[in-house]
Amino acid sequence: MANAASGMAVDDECKIKFLELKAKRNYRFIIFKIESQQVVIEKLGSPEETYEEFAASLPADECRYAVFDYDFTTNENCQKSKIFFIAWSPDTSRVRSKMVYASSKDRFKRELDGIQVELQATDPSEMSFDIIKSRAL
Amino acid sequence: MYGGDEVSAIVIDLGSHTCKAGYAGEDAPKAVFPTVVGSIDQMDVDDMTSNEKNIAVDSKNNVKDSEKGKGKRKLFVGSQALGFRRDHMEVLSPFKDGIVADWDIVDSIWDHAFRECLLIDPKEHPMLLAEPSSNSQQQRERTAELMFEKYTAPALFLAKNAVLTSFASGRATSLVVDSGGGSTTITPVHDGYVIQKAVAFSPIGGELLTDCLMKSLESKGVMIKPRYSFKRKEIQPGVFQTVDIDIPNTTDSYKLYSQRVIASDIKECVCRAPDTPYDEGSYSNIPMTPYELPDGQTIEIGADRFKIPDILFNPSLVQTIPGMDNFVEIAPSVRGLPQMVIESINKCDVDIRRELFSSILLAGGTASMQQLKERLEKDLLEESPQAARVKVLASGNATERRFSVWIGGSILASLGSFQQMWLSKSEYEEHGASYVQRKCP
Repeated sequence: MANAASGMAVDDECKIKFLELKAKRNYRFIIFKIESQQVVIEKLGSPEETYEEFAASLPADECRYAVFDYDFTTNENCQKSKIFFIAWSPDTSRVRSKMVYASSKDRFKRELDGIQVELQATDPSEMSFDIIKSRAL
Repeated sequence: MYGGDEVSAIVIDLGSHTCKAGYAGEDAPKAVFPTVVGSIDQMDVDDMTSNEKNIAVDSKNNVKDSEKGKGKRKLFVGSQALGFRRDHMEVLSPFKDGIVADWDIVDSIWDHAFRECLLIDPKEHPMLLAEPSSNSQQQRERTAELMFEKYTAPALFLAKNAVLTSFASGRATSLVVDSGGGSTTITPVHDGYVIQKAVAFSPIGGELLTDCLMKSLESKGVMIKPRYSFKRKEIQPGVFQTVDIDIPNTTDSYKLYSQRVIASDIKECVCRAPDTPYDEGSYSNIPMTPYELPDGQTIEIGADRFKIPDILFNPSLVQTIPGMDNFVEIAPSVRGLPQMVIESINKCDVDIRRELFSSILLAGGTASMQQLKERLEKDLLEESPQAARVKVLASGNATERRFSVWIGGSILASLGSFQQMWLSKSEYEEHGASYVQRKCP
């Protein structure tokens, strides 16, 4: 357990939908938020949606957690995918919300088994598509 | 488990220079007062001659509330009690090298915070205390013992400074550069865990800079007169007369404390970090900035405006200041801020270095120095590996920057979900003080 963890609970639905994203691949992304003392799902993205649509779904001045399933082709022409976990904490959000999301992250991430890359982003440039591409390799 | 439904926790961040205390859930601490206390040995008081009794009686009326009998000595806590000069009063700090050395003083500070500043009964409120990352197991157990045995607090939590700062900025992973009064500590935090082996510490903090400024001014013939040592009155409209008063029984430590209060104000008003490393030649012609001392004399400060803050980046500058001899012994082992940052990051795992470079957080009182953030970023860009994307962050809001630790603790302690995390009094009674290691890792 990390020091100063918030003890925030995680809704079972988060785990179920994440497993579906991982195993059945029927979502492109999931956005989570913290509401009434637990982490719940805010939005599910269908497999056809793009990274831009995903990025646009994150509010500009509120914190969120998100997972994104990134499909790409390697230099050896091999189809691959990686699951990204993004802690979105824009500088313009309120201190309270930054604190709540940061102190609940460790616990929440442990519930999602199968995350391959993790990012923390405080402005859109820190989670640009180029960064996603470079971190996937 | 602590099961109270009313969250009315108290948050205390006992720094090396100031103590911040207040109610959880608020935006800023209610009480901010010096960590040092005044102390008079009771032996001396008994020996006092009759003409000094007047002063003693007078002082009792003034500060009866904040004074506290402590066996052989009497302690005076709070800026008001310290602002009043007393015969034979020494000024003491509970800390030695960043670690609590005198628990009596800590006890008196807590007591002052609870009963004089916040007006609460500690029996009724859970306590969240911020602690330095380097706190030993022994220190933490001692804290728990004192809180539960003496104050009978219902619940306690010890949160690490660096973790609170990091979380309050929205990051679970970051490099926290905490430049406070007594020291500067660099702490890498990863997913809420402090990476202990990579923590870097330097004794250069705001107080050392204040002392350097004072010595440098003294070498130029400027003596800072403590406020108690003179009377100033208006003899005609606009014309003031300053009369020195001779007070023989004032201790050296109290004189120093009073001078530091003034010197640190000068520092906060005029100093700013230079954009490039300080050198005597190019700063010799810069315009002077005036500052009016409490006794009415106006002094002009030139190169020192830039030289003093540059000590953070280049500690060897201390040796060029006359009268700072006691520092010279340790100076060679102390490194500048950018070197410490890079060393600390290099001690961490390769995988997280990139992330640490891009989230360097400035916190603490000294971090509010003008241009400090820009200078640190610039120096790091020059010295860091090419691939690293260096980003130094500091809250634009001065209160948030200065009190980031306290604010983090305040939010945490007020969360409904956090209420299960406290180390409760019953748990303490069942498992003993060592249980604090389990509950507050």
